Amino acid sequence: MKYHLHWRQLVAAALFAAGLPVMAQPAASTDTLTYMQSPTVVTADQVSQQQVTNPLEAINGRVAGVTIQKSNNGAAAMSAVRVRGTTSVTGGNDPLIIIDGVFGDLSTLSSIYPSDIESFTVLKDASETAQYGSRGASGVIEVVTKKGVTDRTTVTYNGSVGMTHVARNLKMLNAAGYRDAVTRQGGMLIDKGYDTDWQKAIQQTAFLQDHHVAFMGGSDRLGYRVSLGYMDHDGVILHDKLRNLTSNMNMHQRMFGDLLNIEVGMFGNVQKDQTAVYDVQKTFYSAQAWNPTFGTSRNSSGGWDGFTYANQINHPLALMDSRTRDKTVHLSTHAKLTFNLTENWTLSLFGAYSHNEDEIAQFLPTSIWSGGKGYRSSAKTESWMGHAVVTWDKTLGRHHVNLMGLAELERDTHTGFYTTTTGYSSNDIGIDAIQAGAVTLWDGTGSYRNSPSLASFMARVNYDFDNRYSLTVSARADGSSKFANGNKWGFFPSLSASWNLGNEAFLNDVTWLDDLSWNVGYGLAGNQGGVDSYMAQNYLVPAGIAPMGQNLAVTLDQLINANPDLKWEVKRSFNTGLSAAFLGNRVIASLDFYTSKTTDMLYLYNVGVPPFSYNKLLDNLGSMRNSGIELALGFTPLNTRDMELNINANVTYQYNKLLSLSGYYKDYWLEAPSEVDLVSLNGAGFHGGNNHIVYQMVGHPLGVFYLPHCTGLKSDGAGGYVYEIADLDGSGDINIANGKDRRVCGQALPKVLLGSNLNFRFKQWDVTLQMNGAFGHKIYNGTALTYMNMNSLPGYNVLADAPAGNIKDQTATDYWLERGDYVSFDYLTVGWNVPLSAKVQRTISRLRLSLTIDDLGTITGYSGLTPMINSSSVNSTLGVDDKNIYPVTRSYYLGVNITF
Amino acid sequence: MKRYIKYCLLLIASAWSLVSCNSFLDDNPTDRLPEEEAYKTLSDLRNNALGAVYLNIGGSSSSQGLQGTARSVYDLNTFSTDEAVIPTRGSDWYDGGIWQNLFLHRFGNVDFTGDTWNYLFKEVLAANRAIERIDAYAAQHPDESVVEMRAEARALRAMFLFYAMDLYGRVPLFMTSEPTVQEMKLQDRSVAFKHIVSELQAVDADLPWQASPRPGEYYGRMTHAVADFLLAKVLLNAEVYADDDWTDDQRPDGSAMMWDVEGTLMNTWQAVEYYCEVITFEGYRLADNFEDNFSISNEESPELIFTIPMDIYNYSNRFVYQFRSLHYNHASALGLNGENGASATIEAMNTFGYGTDHEDARLWSTYYYDTVHHDKTDDLVTLDDGSPLVYRPLDVKLDLSNDPYEKTAGARMRKYEIDFAAMSDGQLRRNDIVLFRFADVLLMQCEAMLRDGRAGAEADALLNQVRHRSFMAERTATLDNVLDERMLELAWEGWRRNDLIRYGLFTRPYTDRPQTDGDRHGYTLVYPIPGETLTACGCSQNPGY
Repeated sequence: MKYHLHWRQLVAAALFAAGLPVMAQPAASTDTLTYMQSPTVVTADQVSQQQVTNPLEAINGRVAGVTIQKSNNGAAAMSAVRVRGTTSVTGGNDPLIIIDGVFGDLSTLSSIYPSDIESFTVLKDASETAQYGSRGASGVIEVVTKKGVTDRTTVTYNGSVGMTHVARNLKMLNAAGYRDAVTRQGGMLIDKGYDTDWQKAIQQTAFLQDHHVAFMGGSDRLGYRVSLGYMDHDGVILHDKLRNLTSNMNMHQRMFGDLLNIEVGMFGNVQKDQTAVYDVQKTFYSAQAWNPTFGTSRNSSGGWDGFTYANQINHPLALMDSRTRDKTVHLSTHAKLTFNLTENWTLSLFGAYSHNEDEIAQFLPTSIWSGGKGYRSSAKTESWMGHAVVTWDKTLGRHHVNLMGLAELERDTHTGFYTTTTGYSSNDIGIDAIQAGAVTLWDGTGSYRNSPSLASFMARVNYDFDNRYSLTVSARADGSSKFANGNKWGFFPSLSASWNLGNEAFLNDVTWLDDLSWNVGYGLAGNQGGVDSYMAQNYLVPAGIAPMGQNLAVTLDQLINANPDLKWEVKRSFNTGLSAAFLGNRVIASLDFYTSKTTDMLYLYNVGVPPFSYNKLLDNLGSMRNSGIELALGFTPLNTRDMELNINANVTYQYNKLLSLSGYYKDYWLEAPSEVDLVSLNGAGFHGGNNHIVYQMVGHPLGVFYLPHCTGLKSDGAGGYVYEIADLDGSGDINIANGKDRRVCGQALPKVLLGSNLNFRFKQWDVTLQMNGAFGHKIYNGTALTYMNMNSLPGYNVLADAPAGNIKDQTATDYWLERGDYVSFDYLTVGWNVPLSAKVQRTISRLRLSLTIDDLGTITGYSGLTPMINSSSVNSTLGVDDKNIYPVTRSYYLGVNITF
Repeated sequence: MKRYIKYCLLLIASAWSLVSCNSFLDDNPTDRLPEEEAYKTLSDLRNNALGAVYLNIGGSSSSQGLQGTARSVYDLNTFSTDEAVIPTRGSDWYDGGIWQNLFLHRFGNVDFTGDTWNYLFKEVLAANRAIERIDAYAAQHPDESVVEMRAEARALRAMFLFYAMDLYGRVPLFMTSEPTVQEMKLQDRSVAFKHIVSELQAVDADLPWQASPRPGEYYGRMTHAVADFLLAKVLLNAEVYADDDWTDDQRPDGSAMMWDVEGTLMNTWQAVEYYCEVITFEGYRLADNFEDNFSISNEESPELIFTIPMDIYNYSNRFVYQFRSLHYNHASALGLNGENGASATIEAMNTFGYGTDHEDARLWSTYYYDTVHHDKTDDLVTLDDGSPLVYRPLDVKLDLSNDPYEKTAGARMRKYEIDFAAMSDGQLRRNDIVLFRFADVLLMQCEAMLRDGRAGAEADALLNQVRHRSFMAERTATLDNVLDERMLELAWEGWRRNDLIRYGLFTRPYTDRPQTDGDRHGYTLVYPIPGETLTACGCSQNPGY
């Protein structure tokens, strides 16, 4: 190939190289990527720095425009990832993950051990993602695993041991404070005489160990690499465990001279999670609010003492008796044949098969679930994918043309079943013998199968003149089985151009400027991620046993409003960017702007009954705007043989606005209400009513806080205080319903995101510090609203500060709406490349030791446990801290890395 | 050679990529049936067309079901009245003010008014779909009779329209499962009223003369007596339903409205009496004991006319009303769970004569109050600190927060026999939920005679038939006494709002409930119609909302 790598890729690679300037060739190993504009690449050297469960966490804060919500939910946490924001309100916002060409989703990444990853490439622009069609509409993260090397056999071992502990809990009243507060209020004091910190009672110091070994080798016509990895992580909540066994094998071989190149690979894993947290909110709500005078021992009958005034929560240790096991098995095989037919023609055939199995077993004892509950389920996905790509590549003088045609087919088959039992008379056996439950209810058992497919064709023309001007035009047609005939196909063209000013003669004399380029692109992308199979046609499913007559018979009924008019959601995006390198590549900067408009936006409307039989209808009405500016800076002030300092930072400004949610479906005018609630509070006294916090409102960003305004606390006339609510609509009375005394008072999605990374090397020693930040958003502290309410006593404990405040109210107002800005120090790694004598180097070529501290601390004005809650995924937890936050942890571990 | 391989491969590649893509994109499900496959036999028709309507008469989730579930038809008819209240108890039961708003008639802030409308019309649409399926089947199989099934579906539709009209005043009257914008226009209440009466009258003769509450072929189904009960109930409220402007304090005169009943012209009250007589003629009678109607095996009671069949294992219908009423310790002593909520009002306690020397015998069967004992073992129920649980009926208030009796004020719901085999917090149980029963028929007949100006021995006898069964002293049949008797007999059965509106008492002030502006203007006599429906049909909201 003539054009090995666009220089911007090198810039990006160097930018994130964390002090190791020599890069292996990153993701552009496939010829099809040659002309892509600005993929952002993160390479192996960052991945291995940090102890991660999910490899994606390793690139958190490394790439502008990519939000990775590092989840703190226990050992088996999943990250939420957004590339350039949320562009659909219904679904399909997760980026496409491609591992060695195999399509997958975020969960597929758990089948790859972080040390097996050669590079991540993040594709953001429409012209970049066009290659991957609808599944890549929300961005693409390409993962390339390490491959065998030529003429050398190597074995590497990576291992680490460490521990995690809880760094911060909420400060609730202790037993003395609780007794005092209850007595002073004249409530019924149930005093068992203990003083238990329930948050600590369900926590543990967790240990973790990771091991990974890889073998690789090859000759000039053949290369192989095989690796095995094992992770063993405990969580900080009792019984939380994660085990993950991964394997990755690949080989490549050349045949018939240079005519055929064969790559075959297989990767997979078996992951087992176990937890006693079956309901995150119930667990932490219980541990925070349970009566502190209770003890931690079982009562004489072997159970746990109840406290009937606290009926929304359970004895925290009773909850720890529950068990949920989740076993996922992933297996993926793929093969790629590349025929270098002539100097100009290349044909590549790719096929992949993946098998995913998710098995869940759960037992909830009778102390926390009426009658107990045993549950087993199995969900399988089989996925076949194949494509053929033909390319024609020709250089004539300064002209270079590349043509590409692609055809692709994909089919996923989802099958599964589940069954539930209840009516347990004892808790001695459950999870592995669910027939110990006497009752199997009709609606607790079921199975399903669906098999959606996608077909795509694409053509692309790429023209480059003199390494200075380049133009790419692509046209893509995607067909989906989820839509009715006539709506199956969508057409999504894209266009991009770039100008590499660095190669212009007039800049040759500018010595301080090493490189400069400008690019611009426009394109359409289709999304169907929010559509399930069989939503476009009326089908009847088993709906229940109708209570009629003497024979039990299952009624088949349609349970949703089918919509035959469903079609592709379309995102039109425009992007332009500048990149530059100065002062001998010591300063590297890039600035990108993008704006996208989602039209025919899929939205689940609340519709009238009648005309519809059900009150929800998914339809393509509505639109949304997403814009942003991304700035990435890399700075190398020091670079000598012994010492090197790199400072990298990226800042993303993102803006989102819901433009419209209305239109005609057939003759009926559909319109989302002016306020649609997304997130509501939960807990005692919070069921329904005016407890909605985050809303979706046309004309505003997705996820805004829409709340009554509290002007302060006022006396309730009996020594306590209540929230004084402003009469915002001037009606003369206080009515906090939607449209009345409420106002929009902030957004849940950050306006500005920051990622920064410092790397310093002195001789064999190096230090890396990673920081992330988010600004401009707010967090609703529902936890404080709940635990500052003295009316919760005696059933529910309150914060240590609550008696002093003596608030006797839990009306949701903006009183507990706080700024969510934070800067978090994610991790600090100190590494030492042990100097080895020449004799030792004959067996051990490299030895590195490292010490890492995760979650060093956070700078924030937010008064709750942590500001790092869900501020990116538009779902039922967005922007609200409501008794459902895992304790803040800190981890320490020692790592060793040996290459033989 | 090389060239040959190249073209060969290109040919294979293009052939492979051009496989018929549209057939690849066809998705034929195997875990569900297309509509045209699901109604091929009479049995399919019964299970899938009619079954879809019956499936949701009871319910398992909020706002679904005529009775048994929370935040539904029943709550709108009960907790908006002087019969019962869900008081705020500290952090329990505040729920964003929804129960207070319901009790205080601030209905614009009760979000499940919309969910309840959606439920009722989901059922109307299911009935329409059933009728369409039945007609399509009949056209293909002219020799098979679907008359009874069709009558059943129409009567069910009329029943759901009755509930909708009663709650919301104006309703759309459409006969298809995919109504046009025009067909969805809201009709005046009087139009809906006459439509419901004529529908029920039209199908009456085709419905089976069978006892619906008894297990067997007609268990849980719409039968002749059910339709007659509905006719009596709808006609008894004729003065309310024939009134299109409920804000002007004026109603038409029921005695002046004439109805064609089986070929005879009668006034409204005579028509009510006629339908009550037919039910009596069919053999329905009072059960020997009041409690028989609510026992675990209540399907044997000769008094029941229409019930929601309950079964722990097979049906998903739930009954949450005791679960949400009983104190935590009380429920857990019974092996169930409780949410310590719904209580009787002071007005209800006064009607029952609680704490006086003339307590009604049904007080004990209807409520738990004072100290309580386990229903089976008779053990005293205690609080966590060992002291006895004492429900304090007269200390109930709308907001009990910080009250010494925050958790214990209010008499609680008994009425239904405790099922110790119940599952799911006591929500899945065997007592069938009573929708219509014969005691109501006697009281309706008595009231109709009084409203027709025929007070006297005959009316007294009807009232006292109900009172004698509970060993209560005779009373003279007056409208006031009938209303009191309806509370005594039918408390927790979801009729109070309907009764109070008919008596013109729904909007009066009582304990903890001052009269609102909406009450004064009569706006609160109906609930607001959900915005989505108004948007779709381009109709106006009910006045005052």
